Amino acid sequence: MPAWLSDNLITIVDGVAFGVLLFTIAVGLSLVFGIMDVLNLAHGALYLVGAYVAVRFARGGQAGIGAFLLAGLAAVAVGAAAGAGLAVLTRPLARRGHLDQALLTLGVALIIGDLLSARFGNDVQSVPPPAFLAGSVSLVGHDYPSYRLAVIIAGLALAVLVWLLVERSRAGALVRATVADAPMVRALGVDTGRLVVAVFAFGVVLACLGGVLGAPVLGAYPGLDERVLILGLVVVVLGGLGSVSGAFLGALVIGQVEVLGVSLLPQYASFLVFGTMAVVLLLRPTGMLGRAGKPG
Amino acid sequence: MSTATEAPAAAARPATARAAGAVLVLLALVPLLVSSNVADMLTRVLAFALLAIGLDLLAGVAGLPSLGQAAPFGVGAYAAALLGKHVTTVGPVQLVAAAAAGAALAAAVGWLLVRSRGTYFLMLTLAVGEIVHELADRWEGVTGGTNGLAGVPAITLYPGGPPVRLAGVLYWYVLAAVLVCAGLLWMVSRSAFGQTLRGIRDNEERMRSLGYRTFPPKYAVFCIAGAAAGAAGSLWVAQSRFVSPADLGFEVSAMALLAVVIGGRGSLWGAALGAAVVVLVREELSPQLGGRGPLVLGLVFVAAVYLLPRGFAGMRIHRPRGEA
Amino acid sequence: MRGLARRLTTIVAAGLTVALVAGCGSSLEEDQQGAADGPVKVGLLVPKSGVYAPLGRDMENGFRMYLEAKGGKLGGRTVEVVVADEGGGPDTGVPAAQKLLQQDKVTTLVGIVNSAVALGVRDQVTDSKVPLIIANAGANAITGEQRSDYVWRTSFANGEVAGALGGYVADQVKDGKVFLAAPDYAAGKEATAGFQEAFEAAGGQVAGTELTPFGTTTNFQPYLARIQRSGAEAVYCFYAGAEAVAFVKQYQQFGLADRIPLYCSGFVTEGGVLKAQGDAALGIKGSLHYSDQLDNPTNQKFVADYSARYGDTPTVYAVQAYDAAAVLDQALAKGATGDAIVEGLKGVGEVDSPRGPWRFTDGHGPDQVYYLRETEEQGGKIVNAIVRPLTGS
Repeated sequence: MPAWLSDNLITIVDGVAFGVLLFTIAVGLSLVFGIMDVLNLAHGALYLVGAYVAVRFARGGQAGIGAFLLAGLAAVAVGAAAGAGLAVLTRPLARRGHLDQALLTLGVALIIGDLLSARFGNDVQSVPPPAFLAGSVSLVGHDYPSYRLAVIIAGLALAVLVWLLVERSRAGALVRATVADAPMVRALGVDTGRLVVAVFAFGVVLACLGGVLGAPVLGAYPGLDERVLILGLVVVVLGGLGSVSGAFLGALVIGQVEVLGVSLLPQYASFLVFGTMAVVLLLRPTGMLGRAGKPG
Repeated sequence: MSTATEAPAAAARPATARAAGAVLVLLALVPLLVSSNVADMLTRVLAFALLAIGLDLLAGVAGLPSLGQAAPFGVGAYAAALLGKHVTTVGPVQLVAAAAAGAALAAAVGWLLVRSRGTYFLMLTLAVGEIVHELADRWEGVTGGTNGLAGVPAITLYPGGPPVRLAGVLYWYVLAAVLVCAGLLWMVSRSAFGQTLRGIRDNEERMRSLGYRTFPPKYAVFCIAGAAAGAAGSLWVAQSRFVSPADLGFEVSAMALLAVVIGGRGSLWGAALGAAVVVLVREELSPQLGGRGPLVLGLVFVAAVYLLPRGFAGMRIHRPRGEA
Repeated sequence: MRGLARRLTTIVAAGLTVALVAGCGSSLEEDQQGAADGPVKVGLLVPKSGVYAPLGRDMENGFRMYLEAKGGKLGGRTVEVVVADEGGGPDTGVPAAQKLLQQDKVTTLVGIVNSAVALGVRDQVTDSKVPLIIANAGANAITGEQRSDYVWRTSFANGEVAGALGGYVADQVKDGKVFLAAPDYAAGKEATAGFQEAFEAAGGQVAGTELTPFGTTTNFQPYLARIQRSGAEAVYCFYAGAEAVAFVKQYQQFGLADRIPLYCSGFVTEGGVLKAQGDAALGIKGSLHYSDQLDNPTNQKFVADYSARYGDTPTVYAVQAYDAAAVLDQALAKGATGDAIVEGLKGVGEVDSPRGPWRFTDGHGPDQVYYLRETEEQGGKIVNAIVRPLTGS
């Protein structure tokens, strides 16, 4: 294999892993925006909640896969409750426009962030991966952490699951119909209010699960929520607001930019993420796969 | 503003004018009544209020919500600081230069940005803000890097004049500057141009179908808001005498937008009030809360969003829901 | 509209009334930092929120522990500590410092983690003649070209900590090259520059330098790959907080830990981050002016007292603040005005500190010994063992 490729293969693979992780982070944000036109700026804080759930369950050295599954279940429960709560909080503001709702979620993000900091302290918390994934494998003569390979697999599985739910299930059809024409769906006798709450809850659940999945890679500490939120926003906007496949594409692009891009252009590393987003938006103003008629 | 409220509004104008006059008198008397520390804080409030009012013109009147106003603000602050250290300490000169710098930045990026709408526009402004922040971090030779620029000399009010060291005198200078700039912004808002902006905010498609070109007004207001932000930056530096990349950060942009939302969009004076709330919570309250500052700020956000003063038309990022 | 106007007037009037009540006086007079009768007010400016909060907590612990051991008095005078939250940077730290100086009218300011905050308040403390004792911020300029009569430092300078390691590493790698890695901000640049200067003076050669985006880097894989490709014999790094945890863990995960020795400024393995790194941190050698493993009598007592009181072993940040209280103790004995305290600080001789004895230089920073530390496992815990001193003092 050509020298350039073998040198950078690990980097490319890592870009895929990072991209898939970004997708698990961003997909919930994309779904919530798609159904409600609301940018949930508390998304990063909710990711961090999931990460701290993982800290709580996987603390103390060699946790097994069981602890992680438990953490995942806990994350689902917490996420569902938080998501429903957040949906209820933002509903009364629907008439006042999306900026108000977005700023409300920003306030909630600050509150959650501070509560997490009060509860878990300000130190950086590190989560060891499940024992059998704690080592590294050898890829083309270089060591690569096994957990990141597991992230690729788990993340792709999640992507497939979400795709099936959204595109192939009855619930997904109702959601897509509501996005397209809510009054008509209501005329068919469906309670769109509860549907919206359910989608919001699902989006937040995905954020929390993303936190559990990402915890062995990113850890948990104050300030991570802001970093995750910004990356999630960039991914979702880059891919096109409201489009889940756009979020997937955007995540893979940003994943490579953050890793391969940094490797090739280290002196511009800090500008690459926003620069990429800006360039894409200027060429395609609604993102890569965004719906042209939807200004967002 | 719809015509239905014109008649009672006309009748109430003397009352509004009296109220405004009373407020101005109170503001002018401040240095005689309060300590230096409070005067300093109110000076910072005034500078931030100008930033918020400019953003209100952009977001509230023209319907272009921006999360990147910290960029022209910071550029203006650095321009004033660099002028103060190397060229001239005359405050009004720094003010004009900073406004020009802010407007130049807005002009450079605005013609690309205002083609977008809604959330995409918001994210692009965020991107610009973050990129400018990074540049300030890295361009050490000019900006001093992450350590910032310290040692900015006190301003003078006219060439050859004494440096302004008393907090009360600085307050008066900043008050005068803010009143002049805010007055200009208010006139813009009240003019036919302002009406065009509101029309674009409420329904851009309809404006286009009526024959208006929507790009020039949007671009123009983006540059005007940039100038206001730059001017605010110079006033901020006049008080703090220190500028760092943190002044270009996302937090500043978010606080400015929050100030606009708290105050009720489109009214301009409301943004000033919102700015006061934000600065007070962040700078006066937070240091004393033993680390729980962000919690309080978040609660203020949430409370403010729920308790917005009624009577202001809700701003819409895209199509309105049939409100007049 | 009438109701609106009335509402506006009420709000503004209420706000101004509050301001008036809060700060009566005239802002048209010169400010005085008077030495009032009664307790001496010391302003403690440390981060209580944000990414540096763990350091702030350690610093506050160290300061208060010294104060309480002296019965709440420094220099024989009762001390009232006013704490303000420095936050994450100068946008919160500088206003917090202003509040301490102007509203609380503190006699001395102690603390500060972030160098930008320290440089941002330098002019103010100098103009108001309030001594500032920095207990962390490491910018070289603070005791260099930005030095002031009123600014003192009990912590370190970025370049010095890194430079202490240069000669030793040059000895270890002999003809091999070293790769430098640090975050792209002032402290990172000063650290790599300090190391490079000492390293090259001892005959070393640098294979490359990588300044990673500050505060936003979570994935070091591209940089680690570049390090591997460079053929470097060793790596010198400087990181703090979450980046230190990520860098060290990924250094192991991507296979460099077994093949390329890692040297660092000791902050990379100090305090909470060492716990988070787990056994990825084993075998890292670094330079720092303190470790809880130091076996001088002052430190043994200090560690015992600190652990008993706070349930955790002390960090360098705690010692820096503890020593700030110690020098303030000596200085306050001379007088309670700003200028008297400065005279007192000038007269401070050798400080008997848990880190070993040290004294102030002309730049008002500490002239101290830096130790070569190595992380190893002792009794089930990972600690920074002392190998030997790197510099004489």
